[in-house]
Amino acid sequence: MRRLHCFALTTLALALSGPASADETCNSPYISKLIKGQEDYVYVWTLGVEGLGDGSDKLVTVDVNPKSKSYGKVISSVSTGTRAEAHHMGFTDDRRHIWAGGLSANTIWVFDIAGDPAKPKLVRTVSDLGDKSGFLGPHTYYALPGRMLVQALSNTKDKGGQTGMALYSNQGKFLDAKAMPTANGGDGYGYDLAVNPKKNVLLTSSFSGYANYMRPLGDLIKDAEAMKNFGNTMVVWDLKALKPQKVLSVPGAPLEIRWSLNQKDNWAITATALGSKLWLVKQDASGDWTAKDVGAIGDPSKIPLPVDISIRRDGKGLWVNTFMDGKTRYFDLSNPEAPKQTYEKVTGKQVNMISQSWDGKRVYITSSLLANWDKGGADNEQFIRGFAWNGKELAQKFEVDFNKEQLGRAHHMKLGSKALQAKAEGG
Amino acid sequence: MKRLALAAALAAAPAFAHHVELLPPLDFVPPAPGSYVLHHIMPAPEGRVLGVDGRAAPLSRYTHGGITLLGFIYTTCSDPDGCPLAYRVFDALKEAIASRHELHGKVRFVTLSFDPARDTPEVMKSYAGSRALDKGNGLRWTFLTTRSARELMPLVEGFGQDVRVTRNGRELSHVLKVFLIDAGGDVREIYSSNFLHPQVVLNDIETLLAEER
Repeated sequence: MRRLHCFALTTLALALSGPASADETCNSPYISKLIKGQEDYVYVWTLGVEGLGDGSDKLVTVDVNPKSKSYGKVISSVSTGTRAEAHHMGFTDDRRHIWAGGLSANTIWVFDIAGDPAKPKLVRTVSDLGDKSGFLGPHTYYALPGRMLVQALSNTKDKGGQTGMALYSNQGKFLDAKAMPTANGGDGYGYDLAVNPKKNVLLTSSFSGYANYMRPLGDLIKDAEAMKNFGNTMVVWDLKALKPQKVLSVPGAPLEIRWSLNQKDNWAITATALGSKLWLVKQDASGDWTAKDVGAIGDPSKIPLPVDISIRRDGKGLWVNTFMDGKTRYFDLSNPEAPKQTYEKVTGKQVNMISQSWDGKRVYITSSLLANWDKGGADNEQFIRGFAWNGKELAQKFEVDFNKEQLGRAHHMKLGSKALQAKAEGG
Repeated sequence: MKRLALAAALAAAPAFAHHVELLPPLDFVPPAPGSYVLHHIMPAPEGRVLGVDGRAAPLSRYTHGGITLLGFIYTTCSDPDGCPLAYRVFDALKEAIASRHELHGKVRFVTLSFDPARDTPEVMKSYAGSRALDKGNGLRWTFLTTRSARELMPLVEGFGQDVRVTRNGRELSHVLKVFLIDAGGDVREIYSSNFLHPQVVLNDIETLLAEER
């Protein structure tokens, strides 16, 4: 019986917290058990590499508490026993589980992180996404109360970019599927999704299908026809009804979506991978949602390939990782209509995901984009690197070499805390 | 427009209007009743509960056979965005339902305590006050607790209603959730503080009633 002791205390003061306003700023606002102080772990969803270790995708846990004896070390690794282009993951709203999936298959792995946050445990798989929805390549896992909204990238029919979202209960029961719109300017592509609950708005972005993302990048960029098969839209949905309301033109494959968490703000920002631009999605005075190009990321003509972004909790700053040049860039977002880059640093020969702690003082970076898009030879660094940020300079504090450790390609990250452990007791 | 009719009905209920004034404003227009789907998220969990008279019964007695709005509370909660917010919403809904004859007998409220150590049946009876009395206004509001934490926890976990210890083990925190349960005992919507507004809940109740017709 978990947490039973809580109720035996007669002098308890009970407090209630509202929607998520802490932790990683990219998390769903419905997630409970927020980490407001020092995180203890970073979970790294890792692509398996043939001939490296067991060759399988795995969830790797890294100790990131500087006070720990195992700081900067791998303390757990849970293999899926297969290789399926591990990509992204997300917490359920009660933060008891992580849902993680691969882009080359339709299996979703569910890990329990409540029993022992230091040692996630694979507790079940969800494998009916393709059969129930026709979608392929689950990408984003976004918690809604009691449910998980899964954004896919492709479809089982032609493995192109026409796709949609699937809704599951936290228990893994399929509830519904919603195709990305193809009317009124919609192009049918999908990538990320993010919710603004106070506006009842779900915002989605668009990338490309299996036929493109599983293809070697060098071949793909030489294929002019294939390069046309990328998303150029974002969609504003009625969250409650899960119905598209407006398609926004955002050319160049808009990827990660970050709403400002500042209660006074009413906008989201994204970066386009192919266009190398920051785009602002904002509601105007009449209530209409619009998208606006608000500036370049590096030199777009050199295709730096912006990948992940991480917004500060107050909406005043944004980290942007660009894969090709290995740079981590910081933009001042004091005026979201005109972001200004104020800092940059080469943090790896290839960099992809970036996460920051709630206080913004710690920044974590991983290396892998896609198995067939990562660089080769000596440029194929695979790592998680932890940095301290003092407002002026990123200082590396630790690194785990995923090649050396025989783990694979380090991709998506989520923060964990030992304080979130479900306690067993009597009484 | 049905939505306009509903808004007019709400405005016509002075007590409801009073309660709504006390609530955070709804910053969007919710979709019209029946224009969307409420999914069968999960069956409401089963367990033993105690009424204010101290008698034990299965929770299913209160979650089957009608539309149920269920929320967890504890009687000492004072966070304005927590249990008091849920209470204000429940009060507003009660008045709105009372003003709409077609909803009479179709909806019930269940308030279940998180804190069996302190919230005994007697405490819950005192907490409920006049709310627990059926005044013939079309809605029954039941206040429940449990015999022990051991009997409570399967319900808390079954609903996915998280509770945890904070600050030296002397505080508990939880994210506000209220559950809309259909006549068959399935959870059809889970409201966080962002969506817990009487207009949204009323639309959902009407959506469920439309399924039955």
